[in-house]
Amino acid sequence: MVAEPADSVSVSGVSVPDVPVFDVAGLTKVHGRERRVANDDLTLSIARGEIFGILGDNGAGKTTLVRQMAGLIAPTSGELRFMGTPVEEAERELTTQVGYMPQSAFALNNLTVSEAIFFTARFRGLSRRAARGEVARLLSQWAIEPLANRVAKQLSGGQRRLLQLAVTMAGSPPVLILDEPTNDLDPVNRKRVWHLLTAANQDGATIIFVTHDAVEAEKVVHRVAIMRQGRIVALGRPLDLKQEIGHRFRLELIGTPGDPPAPLARVHCTEVEPGRWLAILDKADVGEIMTNLDMQKFDDVRLSSSTLEDLYLHYATT
Amino acid sequence: MRPHNSVQHPAAQLADLILVQLSNWRWAWPQLVLTGLVAPLASMLALSTVSGGANRSLNEHILVGMLMFALLFQNQNQVAGNFSFMKANGTLEFFAAQPVSRVLLAIATVGAFFLLSLPALLVIVVVGALVLGVGLSLSPWLLVVVPLCVVSAAGIGALIGSLTNTMEESGAASLVVTFLMTGCGPVLIPADRLPAAINAIGVLNPATYAASALRASLTGTVGSRLPVDLAVLALFAAGVLLLLVKRMPWRMRR
Repeated sequence: MVAEPADSVSVSGVSVPDVPVFDVAGLTKVHGRERRVANDDLTLSIARGEIFGILGDNGAGKTTLVRQMAGLIAPTSGELRFMGTPVEEAERELTTQVGYMPQSAFALNNLTVSEAIFFTARFRGLSRRAARGEVARLLSQWAIEPLANRVAKQLSGGQRRLLQLAVTMAGSPPVLILDEPTNDLDPVNRKRVWHLLTAANQDGATIIFVTHDAVEAEKVVHRVAIMRQGRIVALGRPLDLKQEIGHRFRLELIGTPGDPPAPLARVHCTEVEPGRWLAILDKADVGEIMTNLDMQKFDDVRLSSSTLEDLYLHYATT
Repeated sequence: MRPHNSVQHPAAQLADLILVQLSNWRWAWPQLVLTGLVAPLASMLALSTVSGGANRSLNEHILVGMLMFALLFQNQNQVAGNFSFMKANGTLEFFAAQPVSRVLLAIATVGAFFLLSLPALLVIVVVGALVLGVGLSLSPWLLVVVPLCVVSAAGIGALIGSLTNTMEESGAASLVVTFLMTGCGPVLIPADRLPAAINAIGVLNPATYAASALRASLTGTVGSRLPVDLAVLALFAAGVLLLLVKRMPWRMRR
């Protein structure tokens, strides 16, 4: 057995330098003439083999960050390196090693599902035969064989998202950047996405994704960055971040939309969707609040230890 | 995971990009051919009644003018629309995120539209010659002239599509350019029937050289002017393609 050099790791039998996949330092992006700050002094590092989630509310700057990582837009200032090379000098590395899935799913709308996967695999250097094999593999993996000959623009939003994921994974790029991979998907397909992404990660892929779906992301993510107004407000493993905000409980109440339930008036309480209230409680408050809660007013009451969604709500809204 | 540093051979990539662009249009090519035919053929029939069939030079100008019209409508306008569509739908960004060359993408798009425009051009030449009574004597130079004309027209279209912000803007800009190019110079009307000012402006209009080269190679009147026409067209086509590659929205946008 040949030992790897100290600063190298083996990926699929190929020795590669053991540097972060992305190294971001003081990254700032200012958009347009109105000088809108989309990313403000971001610093983070993503290691090879990580599943890294980027969470945040709308307009937090998540998409701008990943578009810079994919080399599509240039940073205004700061450093952004891919495998140790500044992104502006890493076009070949980025285009051959990164599969980027944007939020919108209209790029290859006039091709059939099979053609979209086939041509993407070809562009990524696969022979015609290998590309045909890739089409068969991905159609089966994403359970979209019946759609093989359908034109992309005729697909539903969810089917198009699955096609987009299959296209992004064509040729098995070692780094995947996925902007809202579970948007438009039903629960079964959301589960499929997380399952297949976990499998790709076990096969060596580094996965970076943007999502609002904190509940499901928690099942797969190694580390998260929570963004708010262009800044990173929390960064780390979900477990560590939960400890940072103390040992807390989440109280979820399902009832009538409106004002916060009375006993929750003095704690931070969010109506995450109409009639669904979420409060993060200190251990000391739980007994008193539960005693004073009028259970008759709610269809459902759930008390549990805090989750990634709670962290997201804590950091992104407070 | 397979090792990743493979890039497709440029020839294979060009072929695949042409196939992608042709596949995009397989659903709409009959309409594409039709729109490329209807305006030029209708105009030609109307102008043939005015010309009265007596003046050979005028009839040759009408035939070639209609070919230019078809080239501009079919290539320039459609390519402008295609680039604008690719920009709006994220297709350009999709290609920019792949190991795809933007030069090859530009050439493939222009090439695909060249292939799509051939049927309409052929029909206009045959019908036009019959209706206008123009005697055709095809020169082998056509094999050089037609691609140069198509690349120039499509290149302008691609540039318009890349530089404008919306599909509406692109459509309007392309239409204005179409009328300017067919109107400003001896494209549709012989030089001796045009005011001196229009003939002077026509010297700066690439359509003047394209029309002159097409006329010469369709009617077998190849003379000393053809090399000049070809040189101007080649320079213009190269310049447009270079500008397109430079200005096409691609990676690391500010």
